[in-house]
Amino acid sequence: MSENKKDHAALAEEFNKDEPRVDWHDQTLWWIRQKRDKAAHQVPEWEDLRNLASGIKENVLSDLSGYLRQFEEQATRNGIVVHWAADAAEHNEIVYSLLQRKGVDKMVKSKSMLTEECHLNEYLAQKGIEVIDTDLGERVVQLAGEPPSHIVLPCIHKKKEEIGEIFHEHLGTPAGNADPQFLTHAARLHLREKFLTRRVALTGVNFAVAETGEFVVCTNEGNADMGAHLADMHIACMGIEKLIPQRRHLGVFLRLLTRSATGQPITTYSSHFRKPRPGQEMHIVFVDNGRSAHLGKKDFRSSLKCIRCAACFNTCPVYRRSGGHSYHTAVAGPIGSILSPNLDMKKYADLPFASTLCGSCSNVCPVKIDIHEQLYKWRQVIVQEGYAPAAKTVALKTMNWVLSNPSVYRAAGKTGRWFMLNVPFTVNNGLNAWYRQRDMPAPPRQSFGEWYKKNKS
Amino acid sequence: MNSRDKILDTVKKNQPDHRELPPLPGTVAGTAMPPAGGSVADLTHAFTTVLEAIGGTAYLVSGFDRIATILREQFPREQHPHIVSGCPELSGWAGAPDRNADPHTLENIDLAVLRAHFGVAENGACWITEERMIHRALPFITQHLALVIDHKDIVANMHEAYDRIAGLEAGTTGEAGLTDGVGVEAGVSTSYGFGTFIAGPSKTADIEQSLVLGAHGPRSLIVFLLDAAISDAGFY
Repeated sequence: MSENKKDHAALAEEFNKDEPRVDWHDQTLWWIRQKRDKAAHQVPEWEDLRNLASGIKENVLSDLSGYLRQFEEQATRNGIVVHWAADAAEHNEIVYSLLQRKGVDKMVKSKSMLTEECHLNEYLAQKGIEVIDTDLGERVVQLAGEPPSHIVLPCIHKKKEEIGEIFHEHLGTPAGNADPQFLTHAARLHLREKFLTRRVALTGVNFAVAETGEFVVCTNEGNADMGAHLADMHIACMGIEKLIPQRRHLGVFLRLLTRSATGQPITTYSSHFRKPRPGQEMHIVFVDNGRSAHLGKKDFRSSLKCIRCAACFNTCPVYRRSGGHSYHTAVAGPIGSILSPNLDMKKYADLPFASTLCGSCSNVCPVKIDIHEQLYKWRQVIVQEGYAPAAKTVALKTMNWVLSNPSVYRAAGKTGRWFMLNVPFTVNNGLNAWYRQRDMPAPPRQSFGEWYKKNKS
Repeated sequence: MNSRDKILDTVKKNQPDHRELPPLPGTVAGTAMPPAGGSVADLTHAFTTVLEAIGGTAYLVSGFDRIATILREQFPREQHPHIVSGCPELSGWAGAPDRNADPHTLENIDLAVLRAHFGVAENGACWITEERMIHRALPFITQHLALVIDHKDIVANMHEAYDRIAGLEAGTTGEAGLTDGVGVEAGVSTSYGFGTFIAGPSKTADIEQSLVLGAHGPRSLIVFLLDAAISDAGFY
């Protein structure tokens, strides 16, 4: 979204113009958060599982180079070809070269936020390759010409009537039909034809097991499997942080992932790919794209533990009321707000400020990432590096000056109270950003300092 | 330097000091979670309850004759002409598809009946590996799916599930279903190229969070739990 120059606050303001829609969006996501709570509470050892998952991922990050080598060795032995991409551009080139070698100009793709991060679809479109997203939600946003607004629920921002209209236009369903059952069936028929005719399938990866060289892909729809098992070539793309040491560790992560994501006990399909089927080619593309550098940042590296469940999205009061597109990045929400500044601090300088720092994200995170603390730390880095918006920088500098000079502080308080009491219109106006969504409080006649001086005897 | 070496070098340089891998439940006495255990009846009950909550159906049956009876009723041939089975016991009623055929030829399959390895009580999932699928695509492309396991082959949770998978691979664990001549024999090590947990029918809630069964894969899932000791009489 390089053409997008608006920051989170401006984009959120646009989203907030339609208040009933904001309420609907907010309530839908809160409902999913409640389903997550219900599922988590049914597992008495839930907190132990979170600790375990966090501990396993800490171990992974501390020996990532060893696990990457181990996975490569095992996967190669299993007949999987392993590729390494330093950045998004190299990832896209690798995928394109595989398609070229196969001599195809069409492929099916199941959900992969990594390919969103790398803008693979746009790149391949320029090369004349048609990519069909096969996850229903992703297909909806693809037909609408939009990016996903949520990593687990890509079209959570769309009303069923809008989806009905999109399907009417692109799939020829009757105008005005917005029945989810009917629309899903139409998509099933439309996509079955694609599965049966495409010779290359690309999938994401949820977990890759160093010990065995296998990788696990979780879906509810079965689209990753439909694509992969019918195609001559299966390309699986993954960030280098998706490794886990041993297969039995999947027991911990699969118990946490879907309960955290949607409140289901597990996804319908948890598929373990270890070897290509006879006659099939299987490729893994390891993508760095800033992750190895991120690993070196002590305060921020633990965000690489993320398993992409999106529990932090669903619980976030800011995400629920501003929508995924306001984050202008592939991975939105609280976790995206601490991952994205690592990719481009200037472009995503606004995101760590898109939070109330309430800490709800950290409380629901299945791998115990200290998300809200990292948001706070990013703010300091961004201001120090000079990437904070000018108004915010001036305001913070002024505040620093006022708060560190007692006499200035007393004078400023007095002046402020006088203005609010005698000429309230000078602060209660559109120039005051604070006033826009809030009423200013009634100012007291005297400060606590003045009161104390008078009454201390 | 190529990208592989560059990535591995940077990772090695930037990764934090070594952190120990925490012990998993069951591997060290007294840590984390106690093994869930539970009697066979408890596990069967839990499995059935969860499976039905996620849109599947469970039947406790005495044997394959009963399975054939139920499936004949639910999937009459007139409406479901293309039925395949990976269970030799059902060969009189439905045959297995050709292992060597192109998987695209499976596109019209109405129902597939396959033998899975075991079930998981906490989430209603069944573990099945590729030799039992006949084709990797079959459990996904079929319009309806039925899986068969022995009622004793239900583990409590995913930790036990992976212990079981490791046992099956090493050949140290056999399946209760062996008595029917179809289970995995202890002492024979097996290794899968593809395996999956299947929990309920294919589904989506991408349109306004309305749950719809039958996204791309099977529209329905039945799991048959074999228990030779029970009587089918009560079902009539």
